[in-house]
Amino acid sequence: MDTVIDQLPKSVDAAAALPACVNGLPNFEFPSIDTPSAFLRAFTDDASNPDVPIKPQHGTTTLAFKFQGGIIVAVDSRASAGSWIASQKVKKVLEINPFMLGTMAGGAADCQFWERWLGSQCRLYELRNKKRISVSAASKILANVTYHYKGSGLSMGTMVCGYSEKNNTLEPEIYYVDSDGSRVAGQLFSVGSGQTFAYGVLDQGYDYNLSVEDALTLGKRAIIAATHRDAYSGNSCNLYHLKPTGWVYHGNYDAAAEIWRLKEAEGSFNDIRTK
Amino acid sequence: MSRFNPYGDSSGGSSLAIAGADFAILAGDTRHSTGFSIDSRDQSQIADLGDGLFLTSNGFSADAKQLVDDLRTQIKWYHHNNNDHKLSISAAARTTMMLLYGKRFFPYYVNPIMIGMADDGTGAVYSFDPLGSYDREPSRAAGHASELLMPFLDNQVTFANQLDPQTGEPRKRLDLDLQTAVDLVKDAFTGAAERQVQVGDTLEIVILTKDGVDRQYYDLRRD
Amino acid sequence: MQHTQEKWGRPRDDVYGPYDASYLNSEPRTQTLQPTVTGTSVIGMKFNNGVVIAADNLASYGSLRRFIDQERLIKVGSETVVGVGGDVSDLQTIEEIMEGLEISESYDEPAQSLTAPNIHSYLQRIMYKRRSKLDPLWNALVIGGFKNDEPYLAFIDLLGTTYTAPAVASGFGSYLAIPILRKLVDREGDQQNVSKEQAVDAIKEAMKVLFYRDGRALDKYSLAILSKKDGKPDVEILKDVRVENQNWSMAKQIKGFGTQDE
Repeated sequence: MDTVIDQLPKSVDAAAALPACVNGLPNFEFPSIDTPSAFLRAFTDDASNPDVPIKPQHGTTTLAFKFQGGIIVAVDSRASAGSWIASQKVKKVLEINPFMLGTMAGGAADCQFWERWLGSQCRLYELRNKKRISVSAASKILANVTYHYKGSGLSMGTMVCGYSEKNNTLEPEIYYVDSDGSRVAGQLFSVGSGQTFAYGVLDQGYDYNLSVEDALTLGKRAIIAATHRDAYSGNSCNLYHLKPTGWVYHGNYDAAAEIWRLKEAEGSFNDIRTK
Repeated sequence: MSRFNPYGDSSGGSSLAIAGADFAILAGDTRHSTGFSIDSRDQSQIADLGDGLFLTSNGFSADAKQLVDDLRTQIKWYHHNNNDHKLSISAAARTTMMLLYGKRFFPYYVNPIMIGMADDGTGAVYSFDPLGSYDREPSRAAGHASELLMPFLDNQVTFANQLDPQTGEPRKRLDLDLQTAVDLVKDAFTGAAERQVQVGDTLEIVILTKDGVDRQYYDLRRD
Repeated sequence: MQHTQEKWGRPRDDVYGPYDASYLNSEPRTQTLQPTVTGTSVIGMKFNNGVVIAADNLASYGSLRRFIDQERLIKVGSETVVGVGGDVSDLQTIEEIMEGLEISESYDEPAQSLTAPNIHSYLQRIMYKRRSKLDPLWNALVIGGFKNDEPYLAFIDLLGTTYTAPAVASGFGSYLAIPILRKLVDREGDQQNVSKEQAVDAIKEAMKVLFYRDGRALDKYSLAILSKKDGKPDVEILKDVRVENQNWSMAKQIKGFGTQDE
């Protein structure tokens, strides 16, 4: 008997039971009133009412872009609940599998839950079809879910990034999927409360022919700019590079330290005065 | 017309957890209140889930109780299905997320913190938001005094944004020894009880090491 | 979903309608949800050998003293008493549920006797289930009995919130009675130094203060004394107990009401 038990994986995370499924989607309990989404909103929308009892973690700057060397994904790491910084080191890049990344903006739980669920759907696809799922198919699975729940109160803005096989070659793809049910393919996106600040930097520095090093620098630079101007973004930047062989993590950079380094290195951020 | 709010006031006090290289601490006060009335001075909020896992969930205490009951049931079934294989804290944390997210549209009003020893023998603290998003962290505070306790932990556990006076370099986070960590917990709570009316009476500390579980109790302000 | 900085990720008014804070005190879908005929406070405290619980006999209809002989202490099983405050029709529902529980438990051979922790747990599940259906039983419950020969005292409200303490009270009792009872039992364990007589006196004193100041209280009440005699539970429910030695001389000190010359 013991030998069988010894073969169990050390951490049996799969033991965690999903809510019972209906039509292939997890089933959720709704409050028994006429307008459950308005009920939910009354208790959780901290932007309309700072005194709501339940404050989901929110706020973000995330970005991803395609270039000649693949895809760069860069995100900040702050989670705020109202004006309270609930966490300083959130992992906002969710590693769906070794070849696909999802970013997290909006409700932290919504992104974490559904992107993990998406990961398991992608794995099931692999087992059934003996090949990796395409990014477009994976993002469609996610968009189907967000469209199914449209209007019930989910909050997520995510970019599904990875390589898909097209005409026998691997091609990078980025899909923006949000809780309204939108699904848009593109080559450069920024998502979250600090998106405008990141776009400002990205649009002036972006070129498809950027070297890998320059592309990483640009991604990080855009996030740092957003952490500087958006109060709901900050703390640090996580950097990823997606290649045909899978994603590579390029480290965590403290936003506070990075600003001083950038100021000195590139003579920028001159609004910050030193003695 | 009648009005019914299914969520009560946050009734627990506060809780706090610190993870060390070979220990984990979970502490909470034993005051249970409704508004400004103290219901009980002896209501433990630290739930022993078995398998060396402990949980606090500050917020609406009836929701917290429901969450703990469901978790115990999940763990019991896990044991039945897996020949009493011990549930790791990473798996318990994932299970907690599933239970919380299962109530996504009628959420539990709770902020849970779980401690245990990770598979590699290090102390582990996992914290959750009310909807289930979670992460492993070096330290975490929740409840009425979280806004008093958390900055203190940032200062004393993670040494956030501090320079070493000798070298002028950023101060490196050291692995706390157990006694320092317990002292920090006591200081944090005596301070919180000083400034937060919902915190007080008795401080209950659960200390987890490879040798087992130790529970300690200390008096706090009772006013 | 909104896309501007301040409100990023939050619901859009044109999709969800304007933010409506009234849900924080939301309307139920169907059931009538206001207490109509109500009972006021229930109070209880532990002593070295058991528990005392009291609740008066009034069922009010708003400010009308509608029924003056309402029994609000329910004996469940052989060694537990449940005191009920709040809506009286919901009290009767709880009474029926308790009766059903007693019957189903008595099928076992040998019959298992329900203990206070059993009943406490069962009632908490019911109260929480009903609040989760947004159809609560509008009551506050005090459960007194024994756990492993030790006195056991617990409280549950309409949301399923629950706690144990050496002295508990609902409604006005939590403001007026608790300070009197906590003079004897402030923290768990203090009941070791309190005799049955002291506990009964404290409860009687608290019922008097409640009658003085709670406009929905009556000076006729039921008093349950649960104690252990030779290791066996003994439940005594005294009915029609009166608030004795009433002293209304303080009434003359109250100014500003009614027709007074000054």
